[in-house]
Amino acid sequence: MGEFEETRFFKVKTEKQNTAREIILEVYRALKEKGHNPVSQIAGYLISGDPTYITSHRNARSLVRQIERDEILEELVRAYVEQYGDK
Amino acid sequence: MAKISRRSGRYPALRWRKTRHSNRAVTEEPGDDSMGTFVIEGGRKLSGTVWISGSKNSSVALIPACLLADGTSRLENLALIRDVQVFARILKDLGANVDFQGHSITIAPNGFSSWKAPYDLVKQLRASYYLMGVLLAKFGRAEVGLPGGCDIGPRPIDQHLKGFKALGAEVRVEGGVVKLRARLLKGTSIYLDIPSVGATINIMLAASRAEGTTIIENAAKEPHVVDLANFLNAMGAKVLGAGTDVIKVRGTKSMKGATHSVVPDDMEAATYMMAAVATRGNVLLRNVIPRHLEPVSAKLREAGATVKEEGDGIRVICNDRPRAVNVKTLPYPGFPTDAQQPLVAVMATAEGTSVVQESVYDNRLGYVSELIKMGAHIKVEGRTAIVEGVPYLVGAPVKANDLRAGAALVVAGLSARGRTEVHGTELIDRGYESMEEKLSSLGASIRREE
Repeated sequence: MGEFEETRFFKVKTEKQNTAREIILEVYRALKEKGHNPVSQIAGYLISGDPTYITSHRNARSLVRQIERDEILEELVRAYVEQYGDK
Repeated sequence: MAKISRRSGRYPALRWRKTRHSNRAVTEEPGDDSMGTFVIEGGRKLSGTVWISGSKNSSVALIPACLLADGTSRLENLALIRDVQVFARILKDLGANVDFQGHSITIAPNGFSSWKAPYDLVKQLRASYYLMGVLLAKFGRAEVGLPGGCDIGPRPIDQHLKGFKALGAEVRVEGGVVKLRARLLKGTSIYLDIPSVGATINIMLAASRAEGTTIIENAAKEPHVVDLANFLNAMGAKVLGAGTDVIKVRGTKSMKGATHSVVPDDMEAATYMMAAVATRGNVLLRNVIPRHLEPVSAKLREAGATVKEEGDGIRVICNDRPRAVNVKTLPYPGFPTDAQQPLVAVMATAEGTSVVQESVYDNRLGYVSELIKMGAHIKVEGRTAIVEGVPYLVGAPVKANDLRAGAALVVAGLSARGRTEVHGTELIDRGYESMEEKLSSLGASIRREE
């Protein structure tokens, strides 16, 4: 029983959060490898919804469609606030 | 350089050679003297996988855009179609170095110094009007003949000219030639009366080297507008908002060469989707962007077909006679006018009566008389086709009067009983790479006769 006597806190990330983050980073890497400006290309995709902005390199175009754009935006805002927001 | 035929005043007929990607590839010499025929023994279900080529509509904007750069550009995933070849020829005539390698093209603008486009070739190609924006941006001067292309009704270029004027160009049209001149192109706001794809692209091309920022409002949202924006960005321009109705172009004084992979052809894909349904087949289309096909997929699902995404592909299955559907063509993301004709060929044997409204072009139902020769029951009222589905079509000799009409007649021939001869393959070759080979690989009986 000893090892369970103290109350411990675990920060558990949901599967969705991990997936969105992983997808954003994988798409970013694929765009960078192909010589694009990844930030501008992902921004273009987010405002238009057109996957033409995302390269097919490393399967990034199929990957980005596995999650909705609003989920990507939520993840981006969450990460921004975690980095720069009030703590 | 090819000699122009004395009799027809045109370049000699297209010749083909083999490449590792396809049994056929375009040579460097375009032409349209030969009147070819597809001979189809219909009634065979299509089954298997088909690879969709690079977009025609993107390619004809990307190829002239290469001239904006100071260095060499490379376009990959290019379709081996006649319109691409004609455009490559035009660039050569303007002095650029153009080299095909399979499905790629390298374009070096060194030596390119002419602001006058060759009229003989320009008149063969609707998209040659993109040279106006490119030459104006590069030289501050352009002389380009009014464009040719399919006869599908009047397609004025007033929105293009309005854009050039707003950017500071002097515009004159004399003897069928558009003459443009500008000391300095300066960014401005332009509101298009209609979301014209051609005008949007032409203004983007001219604005990419203009001083300051150009804002295009009520812009076209088609995938090839986004594809061009990606290429211009890779070359050093700053284009924002492509794919929405407001596009901002921050011009730059010099642009560098870039490598770009052409987006897949949504209209070629739509045609093969229609062919799968028309023949009650099961076809997987590879190298597509499913999002671009959503208006077509939704309509085919409504007709009873199964359309599902499989990775970078779409599978279309149709086991029974499709149901009739009503359609109105609209700019993207509405149902595309280029898919209207193949859809009518499918609806010709659907259960029930379909109403198909063509709202984009004035004269895009001319092929209906050919479908009627095959036993279709279709009545045309203005720009609307009322299609009363019949159990089956019967093969007949028919003639394509434009690119997509030709594709529609092939779709009809594939589903019909007996032998269909589709005359006018040179029109189909403008936009479809190796159509008979792709269809044969899916089990169709189709051959080309020159």
